[in-house]
Amino acid sequence: MLIELDSVSKIYNQGQPNEVRALSEVSLAIPPQTMVCLKGPSGSGKSTLLSIIGCIFAPTSGRATIAGKALARLPDRFLTVHRRATIGFIFQRFNILPALSVVDNITLPLLPLGISPKVRRERAVILMDQLAIRHREHFPAGQVSGGELQRVAIARALVNDPPIILADEPTAHLDSRLSSEFMQIMADLKHAGKTIVITSHDPLVTEHPAIDRVVGVKDGRIDVP
Amino acid sequence: MNSALEKHLNILDYALSALWRHRLKNGGIVVVFAAVIFLVASFQLVTTALTETAGKVLAVTPEITIQRMSAGRQEAIPLAYAEKLHDIFGIRAVVPRVWGYYFDEVRGANYTVLGVSADMPQADELSRAVVGGVMGSGGQGKVVVGRAVSQALQLQPGQLFSLFRPNLSLKAMTVAGIFRPETDLLTADLIAMPLVEARDLFLIPASKATDLCVYISNPAEIGTIAEKISKLLPDTRVLTRPQIQKTYQVVFGWRSGFASVCLLAALAAFAILAWDKASGLSPEERREIAILKILGWETADVLAMRFWEGGLVAGLAFLLGCTLAYLHVVFFGASLFRPVLVGWSVLHPALSLAPHVTLKEVLLLLAFTVVPYLAVTVVPAWRAASVPAESALSG
Repeated sequence: MLIELDSVSKIYNQGQPNEVRALSEVSLAIPPQTMVCLKGPSGSGKSTLLSIIGCIFAPTSGRATIAGKALARLPDRFLTVHRRATIGFIFQRFNILPALSVVDNITLPLLPLGISPKVRRERAVILMDQLAIRHREHFPAGQVSGGELQRVAIARALVNDPPIILADEPTAHLDSRLSSEFMQIMADLKHAGKTIVITSHDPLVTEHPAIDRVVGVKDGRIDVP
Repeated sequence: MNSALEKHLNILDYALSALWRHRLKNGGIVVVFAAVIFLVASFQLVTTALTETAGKVLAVTPEITIQRMSAGRQEAIPLAYAEKLHDIFGIRAVVPRVWGYYFDEVRGANYTVLGVSADMPQADELSRAVVGGVMGSGGQGKVVVGRAVSQALQLQPGQLFSLFRPNLSLKAMTVAGIFRPETDLLTADLIAMPLVEARDLFLIPASKATDLCVYISNPAEIGTIAEKISKLLPDTRVLTRPQIQKTYQVVFGWRSGFASVCLLAALAAFAILAWDKASGLSPEERREIAILKILGWETADVLAMRFWEGGLVAGLAFLLGCTLAYLHVVFFGASLFRPVLVGWSVLHPALSLAPHVTLKEVLLLLAFTVVPYLAVTVVPAWRAASVPAESALSG
């Protein structure tokens, strides 16, 4: 399994009056080259689950193994190193920095890796060509269309060539045409060998034929229908 | 290229683009910080230049000056005192000097009148300090005036003018030359003339002088000889050149120190401003840092970026402030601070300041300006770098 969670719990502010149990005893296994959708209402624990899969933090208890590494044993610094080698993120509203150019946004994850500007651009150009946004290379990201912006976000998630792509409510602010377009790109990426985890409650995502499995999340637990 | 170095160049590149994106805010900080550095650096440069100028001019003054004291006040010294010093080994020459002040009621200015003996060992050096002619040996009424005096009385070499004696009779004199600008600090208000002319102007008898200048063969013996003179002539005050130099340093040091304390208040105010600016993270900045961190930037990378930003702002302000301070001091004669540093007399020395800037001084200035700025931005930078990565997620 590429992603394996075994009885994972996450408690925020443990032992304090404002303690919150966000996840309880969650077990989940995702094999490579599959597309999984985490579905659940706001506050259900989807984002916490995504954060653990995304190596942003380790679980409070339980065992989380992402791309062969057990998170609980990794200090924060190594979590970051593992994250940038393994995970590509696509955010709600895409979280693109509007003042930076398209190419600068795409190459942001490469800066702390010590990759030269020339190599950075070469990698970005390949992705911009694949996603048909090459003509916007030097445009400020704040000036490109919504469809182009989602492709900039996808290119940024792929620039490190990670095996896992995580998308956090990617279609929440997109119209149906752009949502369909987004899911088609995700399907193509799955066929290209990527493992994709999407949080969403949008039927266009949950019912998309490329989705292999929909995992319900409710009150911090896997919701078995 | 080494990947660690490449990484820092990448972060530096990103910091530069971030500064440019917020150019209005950062430009404002650079301007205010540069103004503070300009003030501090100007004071430091002026103090250095004044101390250097004073040192150069004092280097040609006598090693020991003897003044007769009576009831705590200076009075004319009999020339016979000079004869008592002949037995002290190491004295090269003892030369009488007459000096005093002349108050010009019309202009409200005080001129310093100095009568020098032709026997003075440094007569050649005095001549070299004069433009336009020589003073002569006396009896012809030829005098040399400082630049401020020449401007106040509108005198040019060869021109005739008169000053009142104490009995209100007029003494006519001719301007033989004007002192060079480099000596302004000590000669601006000076009228130098042969000893006999000064005696005639102040009506001092030929058997007396204002003080005696003692020239020593070996400068290392100044202290010992001064001590012997004090014992031999107990009713005199014996001043050594090192003492006078020290007094100048103390005076300039005190003035500069006083001004520096005032400027520190400005620096502290700026530090508070810098703290405020650096600690107030806008939602946009928080979001940007969260995105960077979730994309694989470590806390140390974000911290390095904030340090580069602070360092670039402070470095640019430092260069700007120092350059402006140098131009202000060298080309504009430190016009903003002259009243504080060169005194409040009516005749100001028109100083030509050319400070010799040393690495030590630059580092000192750096330590008092850039380092505090970086220090006050450390905690806010750490706070910024600690923005949790998960805050970029929807929640």
